[in-house]
Amino acid sequence: MPEIHVVQRDNRHLYESYFDPYFRLRHDIYVKQRKWMALDRPDGREIDQFDTEDAVYLFCLDGGQLIGAMRAVPTLSPTLMSDIFPYLSIRGPIHRPDVYELSRIFVVPERRGEHAGPQVEMLLLTAIMEYGISIGLTGFSIVLESWWLPRFARCGWRAHPLGLPQMIDGMSVLAVLVDCDETTWKSLCGQIGLTNPTLTWQGLTGVNRQILPDISLHHSPAVQPAR
Amino acid sequence: MKILEPYWGRRALDFVDAIEASKTAASVISQFEKVIGELGFHAYIMAGIPTSGQSLAELTVANGWPAEWFELYNRENLHVADPVPRHCFNTLNPFEWKDASYDRERDRPAHDVMMRARDFGLCEGFCIPIHYDDAIGAVSIAGERPYLDAETKGALHLMGVLTHGRLRALIRPTAASCGRRLSGMEAEVLRWAARGKTAWETGQILGISERNVRWHLEEAQRKLMTNNKTATVATAIVNREILI
Repeated sequence: MPEIHVVQRDNRHLYESYFDPYFRLRHDIYVKQRKWMALDRPDGREIDQFDTEDAVYLFCLDGGQLIGAMRAVPTLSPTLMSDIFPYLSIRGPIHRPDVYELSRIFVVPERRGEHAGPQVEMLLLTAIMEYGISIGLTGFSIVLESWWLPRFARCGWRAHPLGLPQMIDGMSVLAVLVDCDETTWKSLCGQIGLTNPTLTWQGLTGVNRQILPDISLHHSPAVQPAR
Repeated sequence: MKILEPYWGRRALDFVDAIEASKTAASVISQFEKVIGELGFHAYIMAGIPTSGQSLAELTVANGWPAEWFELYNRENLHVADPVPRHCFNTLNPFEWKDASYDRERDRPAHDVMMRARDFGLCEGFCIPIHYDDAIGAVSIAGERPYLDAETKGALHLMGVLTHGRLRALIRPTAASCGRRLSGMEAEVLRWAARGKTAWETGQILGISERNVRWHLEEAQRKLMTNNKTATVATAIVNREILI
């Protein structure tokens, strides 16, 4: 079972060895595979202006290997939506203490799809909800490729569009605000069979965390026979 | 990147709010018909993409095509030749029907489908592919001379995807609904799954594509509100929807 680690300013020193592979993976995925050429750098690393001290990373580690990740940036700081894609949000920019912006959500290619064991993508989508509830967030803003929308709907992520999809570099992209709440987290845990919280908060004892609801007794509708 | 005049942006966001608040599929459909009508679209379909051995009718989520066209399309299995659903496998982005290219000389059947559609007023269209890990669907809309530009395409894309999602959520039967809920083919695919067959093997046995097997499993999973194949089979057995 892969582990999901919360990595931020206070404990980054414990994960220093993962950052170089992490930025190289981002370059492989976003520049080489998806051809977001604006992000290209000659050193083969993809690092942008939002990789600041305020950024929070979820690292998905399996056997010491980084197999997936996600970045969260407070919306009180500059974000992709505020600084690069403001026109994607008709309803204005989001600057709220209870909303973080998610970006760079990926799983390494060899761990995608249903045949690769634990569903890493679902695990990340579940873990970020746990993170949000833990620190008192109510939502996540995201600029994402539009084909994610039906996938979010299917796993129970409620995504509210903030503007129209637009074609950017040959791909349809839009801005959404996703609800972060206990219901969504519990439903996701039920779907992937989690009965305990999944996040590792190594070296983050200083972070003030809300108490999570109990999920050990959660039953998905599947176990309730129809009348 | 130019900033679009936001009339259709606001319209689309208001539409999304309205259908999220709607409690019945009929109400969602009538709102969708009204809004696409304003842009000159009078016909639509929301369905899984059929491949070999399968008709469009079994995979349809919402049918707003002229009745005679839907009947003809199914009777003659026109999806086999239709370049529009075929193009959904090539792209994640919405596209105009005219961009679903085919070879006019060598691919006469494709050209015939597009010409016959015109007889029913389906002259120009816009198609929104919907990709899941294991299945592909689409929302396709058409009219005689619809109005399409970058802004209205964005609005139709958003409204199409969210209408499809909302209808799927509303059509999902509640746990309290009684009786058999699975289609014959869904039950058949689950019976083979219960015997340990993979989607590929089931496809070989039933003479349909692996993709279609996955589509049926997906639909059964949705109807039974389960999360994976094992849970779907187990629930179908408990509910006596399949016997093994």
